Amino acid sequence: MKYILLMSGTKAGVDGYHTWSQKDIETHMAVLKGINKELTESGEFVATQGLANPRDARLVTGQKNGVPVTDGIFPESKEFLLGYWIVDVATPERAYAIAGRISAAPGPGEVPTNMPIEVRQFATHG
Amino acid sequence: MKYILMMNTMRAGQGVPTWPTKDLQAHIGFMKTLNKELRESGELVAAEGLAFPNQAKLVRAGSNGLPITDGVFPESKEFLAGFWIVDVDTPDRAYAIAAKASAAPGPGGAPLNMPIEVRPVMSAPPPEMM
Repeated sequence: MKYILLMSGTKAGVDGYHTWSQKDIETHMAVLKGINKELTESGEFVATQGLANPRDARLVTGQKNGVPVTDGIFPESKEFLLGYWIVDVATPERAYAIAGRISAAPGPGEVPTNMPIEVRQFATHG
Repeated sequence: MKYILMMNTMRAGQGVPTWPTKDLQAHIGFMKTLNKELRESGELVAAEGLAFPNQAKLVRAGSNGLPITDGVFPESKEFLAGFWIVDVDTPDRAYAIAAKASAAPGPGGAPLNMPIEVRPVMSAPPPEMM
């Protein structure tokens, strides 16, 4: 069964990430890289993707004539998707365990970020 | 350039919509046609629908490294219903595709005009992550 693990945060949170020291960013990335490698080796890895900065986000609706109307204004509280992992696992518990590992990735001073990861099953492709 | 188009319309606890079967079929038919067009134009990278929010879990690492799961979300939380990743020449093309998806038919065949969030994705996973 395929699950998507969603990492989200506010604009303020993203700005905070950009104040991390180079060393802290490298340590954080090394842990995520290790998790990706393990998932690839176990055959559970499907895809991962990081999204660009929320300042480039646009909200689009279609007018009656099909012409897009774009808007770049979002409430301060809005959580933006920062990135995701898609995994193909045998049980939901395994998806939660992987999300727990990602949540424990180190932040500044190697303290785990304990970032909440939203875990959702795919409706399509089983 | 790659863009992700996100439908963020669902609310906490929401299950299968109570639309008549005919309306649901029209909606799904519209989405299938859109995906077919994008596949034929070579712009479709991926498209996925997510299961309903009543199955969503929020996971954090506990101090012992074990996952802590929670299924309680604020009423205001937006849930991802599905997404498309498209590879297009311009942002305007991504917005045009989003507008098309926005106009998908709802109950009674009326366009939903739901907002679609459009975001550039990093062109490849950062090399240090792979």
